[in-house]
Amino acid sequence: MVSIQGVYKRFGRLEVLKGVTFDVGRGEVIVILGPSGSGKSTLLRLVGHLDRLDSGRIYVDGRLVGYVEGGGKLRESSDRVASRARADVGMVFQRFNLFPHLTALGNVTCAPVHVRSLSRRIAAERGKELLRMAGLGEKLDAYPSQLSGGQQQRVAIARALAMDPKVMLFDEATSALDPELVGEVLEVMKQLARGGMTMLVVTHEMGFAREVADRVMFMDDGVMVESNTPAEFFDHPQHDRTKSFLSKIL
Amino acid sequence: MDDLLLAPALLAAKFDFGTVREYLFRDIVIKAAWRTLYISAYAQIVGVAIGVVVAVPRHLRMPVLSQLASFYVWFFRGTPLLLQILFWFTALPLYAPDDFGWWIFQFKHDWLLLSPFQAALVALAVNEGAYMAEIVRAGIESIESGQMDAAKSLGMRNLQAMRLVILPQAFRVIVPPTGNEFNAMLKNSSLASVIAFNELLFTSRGVYARNYQVLELLVVASFWYLVFTTVWTVIQDEIECRMRPEMRRAGLLTRLRNGLTPPSRLIGGDTGGGR
Repeated sequence: MVSIQGVYKRFGRLEVLKGVTFDVGRGEVIVILGPSGSGKSTLLRLVGHLDRLDSGRIYVDGRLVGYVEGGGKLRESSDRVASRARADVGMVFQRFNLFPHLTALGNVTCAPVHVRSLSRRIAAERGKELLRMAGLGEKLDAYPSQLSGGQQQRVAIARALAMDPKVMLFDEATSALDPELVGEVLEVMKQLARGGMTMLVVTHEMGFAREVADRVMFMDDGVMVESNTPAEFFDHPQHDRTKSFLSKIL
Repeated sequence: MDDLLLAPALLAAKFDFGTVREYLFRDIVIKAAWRTLYISAYAQIVGVAIGVVVAVPRHLRMPVLSQLASFYVWFFRGTPLLLQILFWFTALPLYAPDDFGWWIFQFKHDWLLLSPFQAALVALAVNEGAYMAEIVRAGIESIESGQMDAAKSLGMRNLQAMRLVILPQAFRVIVPPTGNEFNAMLKNSSLASVIAFNELLFTSRGVYARNYQVLELLVVASFWYLVFTTVWTVIQDEIECRMRPEMRRAGLLTRLRNGLTPPSRLIGGDTGGGR
């Protein structure tokens, strides 16, 4: 579903990603761990095509992200093509990034109406259903400022799902939440994983990784150090860097 | 104009309230005041539209368009408004091409000959557009970058994200300085008197050129300018109040009533309900 091939990314002089390569199968849930500054978030932003990569390729569902291939060369895709590609990749951010001038339902229906050209009625029906699934059936008309962090993040998940994405990316979706609100967001994510969604999850929630992930990956200093099933990863880490990271957080 | 010639007549002048009263609500003054209001509002609205159209490509760094936009802002903010008014009215028609036609379009050589109203409107609007472009840009830049990320990740194109997500939020930041711009516009429109657009100041000068009651007529003009700016300040306060979320439902009347109620009653009574 997602294929990441030798991806490099630098910001000015700082090399953030140094040749990352892996594949994600359909319906697979990948959890990416790593210390801050290891390039996890940057990798997600590249898959979601919010930043441009310097070299390497990323395919989502067989389609090259952000570039058009022609005659052996890569060209940056136009705004139109790039935005269509982004629509297929759902993203959930650490800071929620809900649209504060729209209600919960407005947030969820905005893109389906304007990007997918759905009728307002159909978008609203689907939006209500998604918000109900996220446990927010009572909060359809609430503005983001009237919602708790956990509720806001669940709206954000519903908003991304409303575009029927092929992949969902979670960029530290629970890191900005009060501890008692983390559970409700993780619960929605688990539900989604069980439903067969392909997911790339950057998180510090080890419990979630152990329970839900098909594979856990460890990134450090811009490279993918280790990748394994959760049981193997946590109980028999192979690399020293993985071991020292796990010893600090477990 | 020829104001200096009036000087001898002023030597023994006494202020005459009668003249003020006589002209304050005179037909020509009311009509002139209306023209001042009309051209100011018109130019401001066009200016806001220009500002948005110029600010967006600058923010998105669209090639060519953003350079043109920068040049426009640089030029029209960097030269005096009075000069620009003279340009549109006086200089432009001199350089109009000869008559020419193309397909169904026929241009006469005088197509750039603007009336005083048209020239003043174009000058004020185009000048205002340059200032509004900076205000709109500041508004856009005040929005967190995460909003653009979220909009894009949902598949919105650049201009869609601007229209649906960024501009509605930037609006709150844009409104207060825009109100101040309109306040200035009401008074700057008096510069159009140099090209004989018969707005408030031009009309007042026309009257005192005949009756020598200079100060009285300037007081009449000032009165109307003050009426406009004062009423506008109240309206602006009201708009800004309504934009604050906690005040969203409280209209002018509610707030007047709250303002007149002693604070002690507000604290206990209005919100407590259950007590």
